[in-house]
Amino acid sequence: MTPALLRYVILAVGLGLLPSPVEAFSQERDCPVPERFYAFDPSLTKTVKALVSGREIVIAVLGGSSTLGLAAGAPSLAWPARLAAALAKRFPSARIKVVNLAVARQAAKAAGERLSRDVLPLKPTLVIWETGTMEAVRGTDVDEFRETLQAGIDELHGSGAEVVLMNMQFSRETDAMIHFGPYLIAMRELANVNDVPLFRRHGIMRHWAESDLLDLRTKDPEKRRQLAAKLYDCIGNAMADFVTRGVAAGKAAASPGSDR
Amino acid sequence: MFRRRLKECVGASQHDRVVVPRQGKAAAELVAVERSDWKEVVSIVSSPSAMARDLRLDFFRGLALFCIFIDHLPTNIMAEFTLQSVMLSDAAEVFILISGYTAGMVYGRAMEREGFVIAGVRVYHRVWQLYVAHVFLFMMFLALVAYTAGALNNSLYAEEFGAANFLNEPGLAVVEALTLQFQPAFMNILPLYIVLLAILPFVLAGFRAWPRLIIFASLALWLAAQFDKRIALAAYPGPDGVWPFNPFAWQALFLLGVWLGWRGTKGGVPWLRDRWLFCVAAGLSLAGFLVRFSGTLHGFYDPIPVLFSGRVSWLFLSKTDLGLFRFANVLAVALLVARLIHPQARFLASRAAWPFVICGRNSLHIFCLGILLSLLGHLVLNEFFGGIPMQFAVSAAGIAIMIGVAALMEWFGAAQAASGSRALGAPTAGRGARG
Repeated sequence: MTPALLRYVILAVGLGLLPSPVEAFSQERDCPVPERFYAFDPSLTKTVKALVSGREIVIAVLGGSSTLGLAAGAPSLAWPARLAAALAKRFPSARIKVVNLAVARQAAKAAGERLSRDVLPLKPTLVIWETGTMEAVRGTDVDEFRETLQAGIDELHGSGAEVVLMNMQFSRETDAMIHFGPYLIAMRELANVNDVPLFRRHGIMRHWAESDLLDLRTKDPEKRRQLAAKLYDCIGNAMADFVTRGVAAGKAAASPGSDR
Repeated sequence: MFRRRLKECVGASQHDRVVVPRQGKAAAELVAVERSDWKEVVSIVSSPSAMARDLRLDFFRGLALFCIFIDHLPTNIMAEFTLQSVMLSDAAEVFILISGYTAGMVYGRAMEREGFVIAGVRVYHRVWQLYVAHVFLFMMFLALVAYTAGALNNSLYAEEFGAANFLNEPGLAVVEALTLQFQPAFMNILPLYIVLLAILPFVLAGFRAWPRLIIFASLALWLAAQFDKRIALAAYPGPDGVWPFNPFAWQALFLLGVWLGWRGTKGGVPWLRDRWLFCVAAGLSLAGFLVRFSGTLHGFYDPIPVLFSGRVSWLFLSKTDLGLFRFANVLAVALLVARLIHPQARFLASRAAWPFVICGRNSLHIFCLGILLSLLGHLVLNEFFGGIPMQFAVSAAGIAIMIGVAALMEWFGAAQAASGSRALGAPTAGRGARG
C-alpha cells in the first residue's frame, strides 16, 4: 500500500533507465496494470515450467463471490475462467485446467479446512487463494486470520503446490465502511514471510478507479453486469500476466548455471 | 482582603471549576476541593508540584491523536511518518498509557481526598461522557452508511458486503453498538477506554491495600491472554469477531499507567530512576526503532531488509493482544521520555509544541473529531484520489481542523474562566448554599 506508492515513484524514476521486461505479455487492453504490482521474487518456477513444457497443469482457485463471478452472471465470465482463456492463448501447447473452487461468503477458515478434502486431491501445481473480504467485513481477529492463512500455505507448500495470494476488491463505497487496512497488511506480511506472490487486487482496482479506467458505478443492472464481466476479464488477464511474469524470471532461473 | 478572596475562591470551587488568573492568563485551576478546608486547599495549590501541569502528558497525547488520525486514512503516505514507523507499538499504546497515567493521577488524588464513592462517581461520570461520545460517533458512522448504502446495493460488491450484517439488520446493529459489541471502522479505542475506566475505581481502591497484588494479577491476565485465544471479548457480527483491542490484554498497559500516575502523586517510584533500567529502556527503544524503521525503509527501497520479520514476530507483535514487544517497547520509550524530558521543559511551553499540547489537553473531543475526520478523509480520498499531494492535503487539513477546534475550546474555556472569576467579585447568594 503506502510504502509501495513511494516505491512506485522510485521505480518510475528507475524504470526510465531499465529495459522494460516482458512487454510482449503486458495488457494492451484498456485496463493496464503498472509494473509495481508485479514486483515479486522468487517466481513460480514449477508453474512456469509446467506451462512452458506443455505438461498438464492444474490451477486451483479458492475464493468468494468475486471469484465465483456472481456479479457477471455466469461462471464462464469469472476471472478464473478468463485466466484459463488468457493462459491457453499464450501457451497453446499446454493443457491448462483451472478449477474454480470458490464459495460465496466463505471465510478463510472454512476454505482452509477444505484444502485436504477439495484442493489437494486435484494435485494442483498452483493454488490461487483469494481471501480477506469476509474477515474484514466480519471483523475477524487479524492474528487468527494470519494463522489460518499460514497453516493453509504450509499445507499447500507441503504438498508441493505453489501458492499465490489475492487480496480484496477495492470500491469507493466500501472503503470508508469496512476497515481493510489490517487485513491487507497481514496478507502482505504473509506473502513476504512465505515468499508467496501476492496479487494485489485491492491496489490494482484502486489504480483503475483512480485513473478512471474502470469506473464501476452504475445504477443500470444490465450495464452493471457488463462492467462486472469487463472487470473480471481484466483481473483474469492481469493474473495471467502475473503468473507468467515468472516465465521470464523462470527461464532465467532455468538457464545453465543457475538451475533450481 | 486576600484571605477573604481566597475563601470565596475555594467556596466557589466546591461546585464549579475555578480558574485563578494571573496577568490575564489562567495560572491555576481549582478542581475537586469539596469538603476541604480552604487553608488546606491553599497549601495544596501553592505547592509547586501540585500547581505545575505535566505538559509532557498533554504534548504526547496530542501527538498520539494526530498519529491516530493520519494512520486511519487509507493508503496515506503520511502514515509512514507517524509513531508506528519508529517504534513497535503505535499511537494506540501511547494514548492508553498516558490516559492511564492521567487517570491514576487525577482520580488517585480524588480518592485520597474524597473517598471511594465520590471519586467513583467522578470516574463514572467520565465513563458516561465517553459512552455518549461513542454513541455520537456511531451515529456519524450510520449516517455514512446511509449515504453510501444505495450505491453499495447497486455495486458489484453487493453480494460480498451483504455479509456485513449491519446492512441487513440495522436495528440489531444499533443495539450491538450500544452494548459496545459492534465496533465498526475506527470505533474500537473508545470502547476499550470505557471498559478500562469502568474498572478504575476498584483498581485505585485495590492499590491502597495491595498494590503489588493488583499489578501482579494484571500482568498475569495479560500473559494468559497471550497464550489463550479464548480470553477475549466477542464482537458483533460474529462468528469469529473479537474486540480489536482485547481488554484482557490491554488492561495491563492501562493499569501500569494508573499505578505510575497514582505513585506519582506520592513522590514517584524510586527504582524507576535506576541507571540500569534507563540503559535497558534505551536498548529496547533502539531495538524497536531499528526493527520498525528497517520495515519503513524497506517499503521505500526494496533491497533494505526487514529486521525481525517472520512468524515468530507475529506472536510478539500482536496488536489485538498487545504482544510482548509492543508492550515492552511503549514502556521503554515512555521511560526514556520521562527521564529525558522535564515536565515543564521549555520546548513544551513553546509555540511549536502548543498545537500538540492543546489537542492533548482536550483529548476526548479531539479524539472524536479525529475519528470523524478520518471517516470523511476516506470519502474524500476515495472519491477524488489525487495521489500523494492529495494525501498530504487531507492529512494537513484534518490536523489543522483538530488544532483549530482545540484552540477554540481553549479560548472558550479561558473566556468562561475569566467571566467566572469576575463573578467571584460579587458572589451570589445561591452559590454558597450548595457547598
